Amino acid sequence: MNSNIVKIIAILSIVASGLWIFGLGVMVQDQFFHKATPLRKEITSQTETANDQQLHLVALGDSLTRGTGDETGKGYVGYILDELRTKTKQPIQVTNLAIKGQRSAGLVKQLQQAEVQRQLKQADFVFMTIGGNDLFQGGETIRNFSIARINQTKASYLRNLDAIFRTIRTVNPQAIVFYISLYNPFNQLNNAKTTSAIVRQWNYDSAEVAARYPNIIAVPTYDLFELHANEYLYSDQFHPNKEGYKLIGERVASLITFTKGERK
Amino acid sequence: MINLVYNEMLKIVRKKRLFIIAAIIAVLVGLFTYAQLKHVQEVQKRLGTNDWRTQLQQQIIDTQNRLNSSGISEEWRKFLQIRLQQQQYYLDHNINPSAPGAPTFMRMFVENSIELFLPLMVMVVVADLVSSEASGGTIKLLLTRPVKRWKILLSKYIAMLLSVSFIVLSLVFLSYLISGTVFGYSGWNLPLLTGFAVHGEELDTTNVHLLSQWKYLLIELGLAWFVAIVVGTLTFMLSVLMRSTAAVMGIMLAALISGAILSNMVSSWKSAKYLFMVNLRLTDYISGTAPPIDGMTLGFSMSVLAIWGIAALFISFLVFTKRDVY
Repeated sequence: MNSNIVKIIAILSIVASGLWIFGLGVMVQDQFFHKATPLRKEITSQTETANDQQLHLVALGDSLTRGTGDETGKGYVGYILDELRTKTKQPIQVTNLAIKGQRSAGLVKQLQQAEVQRQLKQADFVFMTIGGNDLFQGGETIRNFSIARINQTKASYLRNLDAIFRTIRTVNPQAIVFYISLYNPFNQLNNAKTTSAIVRQWNYDSAEVAARYPNIIAVPTYDLFELHANEYLYSDQFHPNKEGYKLIGERVASLITFTKGERK
Repeated sequence: MINLVYNEMLKIVRKKRLFIIAAIIAVLVGLFTYAQLKHVQEVQKRLGTNDWRTQLQQQIIDTQNRLNSSGISEEWRKFLQIRLQQQQYYLDHNINPSAPGAPTFMRMFVENSIELFLPLMVMVVVADLVSSEASGGTIKLLLTRPVKRWKILLSKYIAMLLSVSFIVLSLVFLSYLISGTVFGYSGWNLPLLTGFAVHGEELDTTNVHLLSQWKYLLIELGLAWFVAIVVGTLTFMLSVLMRSTAAVMGIMLAALISGAILSNMVSSWKSAKYLFMVNLRLTDYISGTAPPIDGMTLGFSMSVLAIWGIAALFISFLVFTKRDVY
């Protein structure tokens, strides 16, 4: 009995040794003597089984959409989701593609990615914030203040914004896009008057770009942070805190209604 | 000779260690399967979909966000940078790197156990192969027989090789069997990418090619076996050198664990790459993860391991044949 077990184990081990040595041989052949052949792209044309019952939300942009500053990590997208869950029983899928510190040029590039476009195509609602990093550049704009430079930044930003909207509309002509505009985080500083004017003008010009396209809605947030900026700002005095995000989320969610027959 | 090896195998089986190892593997695989299942469910709940492309895209975005955070260490940043490019490459070529299934689970299990778990299991069998004979006094009986000393040691070494093969085999067998109950048994033919080369912060994709999962697995198992043999040989040498099995275990444990720690912090200590314990993660070269020290390659790591192994084997035989036993 015992000697049989030993024999079985010994034979199994010998067979296994052969197998592992073979594996090493395959490895040497594959890793060291592989000729460089261009990798063909896998066929991507499989039919999309888009779930019509499901509500697709796609969020794009920068740290605001990411939710930086909200200790619960939800961000305004999370609060919109909370609100929508009370309004509809449909299952909801959220894809948050926002990247901290992203500027408009980065978003233009991101939108060229095949997978990002595929996500966009399925979207029912798109939320985006962009431009905060273009304008403030991590506080640089406030420290070295120059109208000429801001105008220059704005011109290229508006071009990018137009490209962004155009891409979204080409990829998905139906989805409703909420472009969430800027507030002035520097409301409490001594040159608030100038910065506010710049942000207002910036928002106005952005809204003008949005108006060129159907179903792109510029949602103001400027007023939300005008009175009690400090209560709604995170300790970095730039990003909103939990309460601030809640305000933005509630405002956007209030724009979404589910009337019978409007959405499938 | 065959009889000698058989005799040594008999001793190993009698000690029942192989079965204990199999039991440990079974329990761990069960645990990891459950953890993996929970993880899959959690991700699915969070994203509201089980579409892998959405999940991978989300991982990429998460990595990008982590890269943009301040206070991230240089090594970690590099690691993320490489992984990011790789994930993007997988996504661009529409290949799912982690399609569920027992073979995928097995692959991940092998990749994660090659550095510490597998060597530990090998150690459990090998540590007292010679030292127990010395401390138990049976070495005298063994050596008084009319067989050359080197033959006795060789038979022990071959028995060690066989048990290492058996351990790897049971790891494969058990992980496939157990995880398959949850994830299904299919997925041998899934395409995977290999041939990534890491240059600093850049991922070089000129040699990237597709590999079926079964072939990929076979390669990884070959490498895991190679690592296990080297660790086994080193343990074998210590076992010859020392009478105390506990001391052998202690030294090997310290070496293995220090290796796991060192891999995370040696990037500025270049000559550490000649230590065997930072070279154990051979499977990382197949999957394309950044090595702990710049300039390490698969060929380099295998050579370092081979040299350590051969040296250890040489010392074992030299000491065993020359030593006075009384």
